[in-house]
Amino acid sequence: MPRIREHPILDFKWSERKKIKFTFDSEEIIGYDGDTIASALYASGKRVIRRSFKYHRPRGLFCGIGQCSSCLVKVNGIPNQKACVTPIEEGMVVESQGSIPSAERDLLSLLDALELKHGIQYEKFLGPKFLRPLYFKLFNFVLGSGNVKEEVPKVKFSEGYYPEKEVDVLVIGGGPAGICAAKASAECGARTLLVEERDRIGGELLKQTHKFFGSRRYYSGMRGFRIADVLSKELEKSGAEVMVNTLAIGYLDGKIGVCRDEREFSLVKPKCIVVSTGATERTLMFENNDLPGVMGAGGVQTLMHLYGVKPGEEALIVGSGNVGLILAYQLLQAGVEVKAVIEILPKIGGYFVHAAKIRRMGVEILTSHTIKRAVGRKEVEGAEIVKVDENLREIEGSERFIECDLICLAVGMSPNIEILRQMGCEVVYIPELGGFVAKHDENMETSRAGVFVAGDSSGIEEATTAMIEGEIAGISAALKSGKGRKEHEERREKLKMLLEEMRDNPFGERVVIGKKKMWGA
Amino acid sequence: MEREANVLIIGGGVSGTGLAYNLAKLGVEGIVLLERNYLGSGASGRCGGGARQQWTTEENVKFMKKSIEILERLPQELKFNILFRQSGYLFLARDEEQLNLLKENVRLHRKLGVETRFLDAEEAREIVPVLNTEGILGATYNPKDGVLFPFALVWGYAKAAKRLGAKIYLHTEARGFKIENGRIKSVFTDKGEIKVKEWVVNAAGAYSKELARKAGVELPNKPYRHEIMVTEPLKLFIKPMVVDLSNGLYMTQTSRGEVIGGIGDPEEESSYNLESGHKFLYLFSRAAIRVIPILKEIRLMRQWAGLYDTTPDKNPILGPVDEVENFLQINGYSGHGLMMAPYATQLLAELIAYGKPSESIERFSIRRFREGEIKAEKAVIG
Repeated sequence: MPRIREHPILDFKWSERKKIKFTFDSEEIIGYDGDTIASALYASGKRVIRRSFKYHRPRGLFCGIGQCSSCLVKVNGIPNQKACVTPIEEGMVVESQGSIPSAERDLLSLLDALELKHGIQYEKFLGPKFLRPLYFKLFNFVLGSGNVKEEVPKVKFSEGYYPEKEVDVLVIGGGPAGICAAKASAECGARTLLVEERDRIGGELLKQTHKFFGSRRYYSGMRGFRIADVLSKELEKSGAEVMVNTLAIGYLDGKIGVCRDEREFSLVKPKCIVVSTGATERTLMFENNDLPGVMGAGGVQTLMHLYGVKPGEEALIVGSGNVGLILAYQLLQAGVEVKAVIEILPKIGGYFVHAAKIRRMGVEILTSHTIKRAVGRKEVEGAEIVKVDENLREIEGSERFIECDLICLAVGMSPNIEILRQMGCEVVYIPELGGFVAKHDENMETSRAGVFVAGDSSGIEEATTAMIEGEIAGISAALKSGKGRKEHEERREKLKMLLEEMRDNPFGERVVIGKKKMWGA
Repeated sequence: MEREANVLIIGGGVSGTGLAYNLAKLGVEGIVLLERNYLGSGASGRCGGGARQQWTTEENVKFMKKSIEILERLPQELKFNILFRQSGYLFLARDEEQLNLLKENVRLHRKLGVETRFLDAEEAREIVPVLNTEGILGATYNPKDGVLFPFALVWGYAKAAKRLGAKIYLHTEARGFKIENGRIKSVFTDKGEIKVKEWVVNAAGAYSKELARKAGVELPNKPYRHEIMVTEPLKLFIKPMVVDLSNGLYMTQTSRGEVIGGIGDPEEESSYNLESGHKFLYLFSRAAIRVIPILKEIRLMRQWAGLYDTTPDKNPILGPVDEVENFLQINGYSGHGLMMAPYATQLLAELIAYGKPSESIERFSIRRFREGEIKAEKAVIG
């Protein structure tokens, strides 16, 4: 798959970038400085990155941001590394795990052909007793994800207990909501720390190439990745501390455990916490939905816009919300032919302007259609789509084959609320907000005093409202921690009104209904 | 839902489901089991899955020998694979005292027909090649010990019990008892009242104490949080359950490949707290990496807590109580429920079905503590 060499907005400056060589299953791969293992593999036409845990089905890139386990590989002898977020280095040895001899040609994929029943390990291999050790050898041969090195390394423990840092406000997640929360909190005079799992802040903004609508105060007319730059600079000025490559692993006896570079573990003891952990892309149930080439819309954007990889030649998009429609446009800009956008509902989900734009460029939008199966042996070679009736049931005989090598799922997201749940915040199910969310009030405070939410983790919406929510949550957290003045309170009231204004349109209505439901729940 | 039961079991862990199965197998009818959450949602589903014969007292070694024999035949009997992998328990000693304890154990075990072997550090490394032998003075190994998948044991028992006619109700909580003339007449649940003809069994694990109190029975059990973790799944490199006697660390790998392990915290106070703590991470990671250094490169995936239902002498309570005529106890395992339940539930089922178990369970009677308390009081007065 070639690199994106011509793009109306982005310039990847290939000629200036250093080439880096590494091996994957003994084969030499050449990537560029800035590539991750997965982006370099994908760009070299390697789509099968691992085999599935049990049945050795081919698996490739799905989310592209380290949230799923679809692309685990062994790197320099260390197993289970996420190929999509591990930067390449010269001479790196990358191996697929558990496949014989390689991910591409795995003899154990025979197990998949047997179409074994789910949960077969509980029903078979019962006896006789003398054969059981053999069964376990067999399980071990088939299952699992890689081996550890057998050498015994020397270990030196650091002295004393885990280091601990006290702050007024801890913000978890450095997307648009988190950045704005940290900035607002720091501007109130609160000692603020922002932790971000990835190597830079910006979150989803980093891969948004389109110009934003909405409020001028929130950078309307600016492209997403530019907004990320501007916000980062503003955050720096605000005095908030930022730790990147730092994962908040959990709420542990009143403190948040954070792990930097997967090595240094420390504790943060905050007075207040803002959780802005974003959302995870959903997948859809259909045959072969795990085939390499079936990808989340966000994963496709990541490949194109962060790594300059053309994700396919011919794409099918499932879902006609704004994400699906914008993605169609972005794929066209990257030189990918978009075969169709399909939508299960009878009407298009996203903004009319986006739909009109891609239609003008010749993309067909098929409403009342869904995907029945992905077709292909080791990677997507096509998709079978089908019409649905008013009850969303498939209409027999209306199946149609679309030839494509990329299937993009733009079917919504679910809020990341794990850490909120762990903190004991009350969680309610609100479909309008994307599923399970932590119940929160207008100041973004959850049922647990001092714990706030903002952005997609408080309910799926879009970047501008995430930024406003972030500011509200940041101010609220700072005030609760004893910092901030009257003027900050006033600013928060204004922000609440602005948020209401932003949602005063047919697309914001859904969120308004959702939030009302949540308050009543 | 059934409104009447001959035997009503409260608790859907390994004790409750194991008892339901053993009763049904003996032909007892009218078995009803209530679980307020889901099967194995208490300590059964939160434990490490180990089962061993390597104990320090003759009674317990014999007891566990029986239990292991049962576990060996359960997959075929239940028609459900509990994934019992008999790859042994490896106990490590780091000082003379621990070493002597292990040596004594070997003598005791051999006498009782349990084939525990004494090993030096190098021999221990043959069993676990990634072992760091530094500071290890000796070890014992018994190849018949092993690990199983705890949920599978509970599911297997429950499925087989249901096949034989037992009724199991999930998300159904026992909230109180109607007691007349020292007998439980019925149990109140959040879904209505169930009349009891014969026995009520308290198999509520760490919550047994609260439940017993509702029937006016005071148990000496205390709940203690014990934490545990799993790593990412990997090919098997720690086959046995490795136990470090110097700090109570235990770890092995599941059949799926996750390293699973925990460590006790002697400073933990009794509570129903099930939250995760950072102190566990500290204690466990240091202890585990000291034994198997390669673990430092492996990710911890999940950490959780379960409750030990601990009695003063760390042995379970089995059998009737004095205050209520038809109220049986099967609890207080003090962290060993999963491995003891296969035999304990068989004996209790025999008591219910035949009026007398095939082996006396008198030593597990709650009376032992009451007599003990009297002695203690005398000592205070004296």
